[in-house]
Amino acid sequence: MSLKKNDEMDHNAWLKTQDLTVIETAFLTTLIWVDKRLRIVDYLELLETMYYRANLQMPKSHTEQYDLDNKFWYWYPLYSLGSLSVLAYLVAAVSGAMLGFYYSPSTAGAAAQGDPTAAYDSVVLILQDVQFGYMLRSIHSWAAQFMVAAVFLHMLRVYFTGAYKEPREVNWILGVVLIGLTLFFGFSGYVLPWKQLSFWAAQIGVEMALATPIVGEWAAQLLFGGFTLGQATLVRMYILHVFVLPFVVTSLIALHIGIVWVQGIAEPH
Amino acid sequence: MTDDNDPMTDGGTDEEARTDGGPPATVPPDDETPTWSERKEHSQGLAQLTYQYFERSRREDEDLRAESTYVERDVLGFPAWPHETIRNLAIASFFVGMLIFISALMPPHFGHPANPGSTPAIILPDWYLYWSFGLLKLNPLNPSLAVLDGNILLGNEFLGIIAHGIVFGAIALVPFLNKGSARRPVEEPFWAAVGMTGVVLSLTLAALAIQNFFPFELDLLVTLTFLLPVLCGIITYAVLKTMREGYMYDLNRRYYMLRPPK
Repeated sequence: MSLKKNDEMDHNAWLKTQDLTVIETAFLTTLIWVDKRLRIVDYLELLETMYYRANLQMPKSHTEQYDLDNKFWYWYPLYSLGSLSVLAYLVAAVSGAMLGFYYSPSTAGAAAQGDPTAAYDSVVLILQDVQFGYMLRSIHSWAAQFMVAAVFLHMLRVYFTGAYKEPREVNWILGVVLIGLTLFFGFSGYVLPWKQLSFWAAQIGVEMALATPIVGEWAAQLLFGGFTLGQATLVRMYILHVFVLPFVVTSLIALHIGIVWVQGIAEPH
Repeated sequence: MTDDNDPMTDGGTDEEARTDGGPPATVPPDDETPTWSERKEHSQGLAQLTYQYFERSRREDEDLRAESTYVERDVLGFPAWPHETIRNLAIASFFVGMLIFISALMPPHFGHPANPGSTPAIILPDWYLYWSFGLLKLNPLNPSLAVLDGNILLGNEFLGIIAHGIVFGAIALVPFLNKGSARRPVEEPFWAAVGMTGVVLSLTLAALAIQNFFPFELDLLVTLTFLLPVLCGIITYAVLKTMREGYMYDLNRRYYMLRPPK
């Protein structure tokens, strides 16, 4: 392929030969300018095609294409578990953002051991005083449960229908990473209210980290802010839960779905 | 390209396929998306200019593609749009409705504030980490070596961490061990059995995590933790092998005629 400029594709020269009004010239110049940089033509074309197809008959579904039995829809819920986990994730994100308006990640305020801390009190505030707060926490908690359950079942569905096979190995591994991150998401959220079970679950986390040779102490410092639990632990879990993990998990989910979109749904049957 | 003699790309003016005197023999189906030329004819002004430019840039792309050595590769899959996406969103939205309904009916319990001074009798994470917690309770399996005077070589917690690594590593390795075009469990009873073993193992590990709730001895529980999954795997294998004959006949007839196995 030659790198020489192809005269036929000199769009600006073509533009000059046209007899156009000022508005038209400005529009086309802008369009060409943007398209040269971002190649929006393809995406606009996709939009256009979708616009036309919206009013037309749907293409054949796989059940029609392969003449599978009509009772196949029994299994459809199992094939939509990935979507369910995304939707549950979105619900958790929205309700979590609203909970974040009232939550304070602080262990201050406990006069003696076992007294409620500021974090615990802020959750009590959400439960008792905030309008709709009780429901909000309930939705956030259940959304997390739904997401984890959907992710587990999604993995089982993918395993038992062989959807992980060549050429989808990369997405399977990405999914394993996402499961681990989802579980850690849940764990860090479990710690935040700083109730009795939160504290002792975090204690087990620290002990697990410390038991690892070589990197253990470093990991305990990084994730839990020390070898004993306290203010530093709570703030780190908070930042992981509301800042680090959302970015990482959201982008990995986008990548995961993008790969599915590009490769196509593994033939379901 | 505005020349009338140029063949169009929409398949409607194929001279070869024309019967004498009649319309083109190849009738485009009703649901075909309008081609770019058709769209162009129906529009005016800025939209028309846009299409005109699109035609040019599309031709540019086509020329470049024709010159390149890139080869498209077949990937076995169905398009995500529109069927799968619409159906998934419909079903998943229903379950989101269930989510909100359940959270109204069953708000989660909120326990006492943290007290570093008193360890609760039962420490448990959320249910989805029970299997992981069970892996931390494998101390009875930790070998105590005679050369070390009965001391254990690895810390009990470290054993649990290694077990986590083994579990995640084994799961990640699956697509590299199991290849081929088989999709259904009946086609590969062995891998279905492996899967059932894993599922049951995660359940028995969860049971091991909440061992306080089981009235029988710990040794028995640990034995069952590893015996039950293997047993389930064997049963799965036997059942699928038995089902295979009749099932595969149906499957071949219905499906593999369309997509022959490699």
